Amino acid sequence: MSVLECKELCKRYGRTAALEGLSFTVEPGRIVGLLGPNGSGKTTLIKLANGLLTPDAGYISVCDMAPGRESRSLVSYLPERTAIPLWMSAAQLLDFYGDFYADFRRDAAEEMLGHLNIHPRQVIKQMSKGTREKVQLIMVMSRAAKLYLLDEPIGGVDPATRDYILSTIIGNYNPEAAVVISTHLIADVEKVLDEVIFINQGQVMLQSSVDQIREEKGMSVDALFREVFKC
Amino acid sequence: MRWEFSNDAPIYTQLIQQVKVGIVAGIFPPGERLPSVRELATEAGVNPNTMQRALAELERDGLVYSQRTAGRFVTEDEIMIQAAKRGLAQRHVKSFIEAMLRLGFRQEEIVALLKQEIEEGTRDVSTGM
Amino acid sequence: MLRKLLKHEFRATGRIMLPMYLVLLATAVGSNLSGRWMIGSRFSAVSILGVLIVTAFGFAIFGVLLMSFVLMIQRFYKNLLQDEGYLMFTLPVSVHQHIWSKLIVSAVWFITTVLAVIGASLIVAYQGGFLREMLDFLRYFFQGLQKLKITEALNGTVYLVELFILVFLAMAAFSLQFYAALAAGHSQPNHKMLWSVGCFFGFQAVLQFSGTMLLIGLTRLDLFRYLKFDWDPTPAVAIHVGLLMSIGCVVIYGAIFYAVTTFFLKRHLNLE
Repeated sequence: MSVLECKELCKRYGRTAALEGLSFTVEPGRIVGLLGPNGSGKTTLIKLANGLLTPDAGYISVCDMAPGRESRSLVSYLPERTAIPLWMSAAQLLDFYGDFYADFRRDAAEEMLGHLNIHPRQVIKQMSKGTREKVQLIMVMSRAAKLYLLDEPIGGVDPATRDYILSTIIGNYNPEAAVVISTHLIADVEKVLDEVIFINQGQVMLQSSVDQIREEKGMSVDALFREVFKC
Repeated sequence: MRWEFSNDAPIYTQLIQQVKVGIVAGIFPPGERLPSVRELATEAGVNPNTMQRALAELERDGLVYSQRTAGRFVTEDEIMIQAAKRGLAQRHVKSFIEAMLRLGFRQEEIVALLKQEIEEGTRDVSTGM
Repeated sequence: MLRKLLKHEFRATGRIMLPMYLVLLATAVGSNLSGRWMIGSRFSAVSILGVLIVTAFGFAIFGVLLMSFVLMIQRFYKNLLQDEGYLMFTLPVSVHQHIWSKLIVSAVWFITTVLAVIGASLIVAYQGGFLREMLDFLRYFFQGLQKLKITEALNGTVYLVELFILVFLAMAAFSLQFYAALAAGHSQPNHKMLWSVGCFFGFQAVLQFSGTMLLIGLTRLDLFRYLKFDWDPTPAVAIHVGLLMSIGCVVIYGAIFYAVTTFFLKRHLNLE
């Protein structure tokens, strides 16, 4: 059973097409990089998988369901923006996730917050932008979900934070689940990926395993990406 | 332990090499339990599936063995570890010689240079420089 | 899941409304005291302070009324249509549950606010013997009630219930008109807030136009004569019919905007 499947998926905004006949599948147990330049349709795809947008043509399924109320209880989503309510304290945020998600591992989240020296009564508004992003990631990775959809988790962060984010992902994801990481910073995530999907202008250009690319082409995925998307 | 990766080879083959170095250098001592796949992967910053694949390969070679419940252990067979050490050393020496030949040194010159460098190195250490 | 949504919605709004009620209570007590001892005091400073406290009470009433209205709009807009929408719309919860949670919570705050303002006014008016007067009033009131015929008493109670339901539904329907305008406006790619305001006045215009047409149509048609239906109700019954028809109209008005809101949130959600 595939965790995420798209077939001939199309989405347009007004006259501009964001996705034009996108097809691929993601199997459980894999960490997949969704790689493409800015504006290639990565975020649109992730929004469709979450049911935040509706497709114009083709279809998309999550754990063999159309995105909706049921599929959302299996998907853990990290949006590009900070979406956690700023007025909440860390403890209230834990309550919130615990109330809505049966698979939320509160003890794991508390432990990770403790490592960051975040007090349960600390309010999110008082945290720095970087800390807010870390807190949001901790919430997302503390769920034992079937599919993690992480939209640009390392966009615009310093190298130390980047290492923290990647090790939090590797150290916490449910091994029977699939992780999809969308990014254009390939060199930074390459080592944690099983597989990569290159997308450009709303279409899949390549889907392959990382070590296969390195073995067959004798170059890193990053180098291949630069070659494929040379301007 | 420090994990470093180059861009031209598959990550799992590089992992095999680096875990071997860890065993030979005694960071993972003979007979000791290895950290879990997830711990090692998190430490190295790599995908756990890739780490799993590398350890499976090492297991096939006999450098590590797994006990069904207790996890993976480093072999207690000193001969095997010595062989691995020798293998790693040979790779370094080979690539060194290749590089020197490319620079135009002849074999005797390489040996002489190596000897001189080692003697100076030990003198520096003994005089505290 | 609706219960959990309600819990967190009350948490989000209560942290603002409860302190406002506290301020209302404090200024009400202060106004009562200043009315008795401070205003008109020999010391002008004390007198001025008393006036200031009473003014503060006025602002507090205005504040709670305004805040319960602002919160109704702001919670829908900020929690569902801004960045927090990414979190809310990916919860395993339906769009209907989202709308109901917002609707119920803001209606509860509206009613609580009205009750709080009445309560605070009573506090301001309280003085020695006030309680006795209140009790006297209630006694006369109930004595009067006893003289009523059973039908009159029944009618009166039902009027009150009908009126209460009407006000409650009207507030909910009014909120839904705002929700529908915000949801429709935010389905646009740009100038979302401008579109929302436009939608609101657009809805208002359509509503007034169709209401007027309906009234004109009804009077022109003279439905009762046309149906040869000789209906000559007593005033008591006519009031019931009037109230119930108003309730019916408000329900239709609310249902239309509920449908518009769900349509846009389900089919045309377009978070930035």
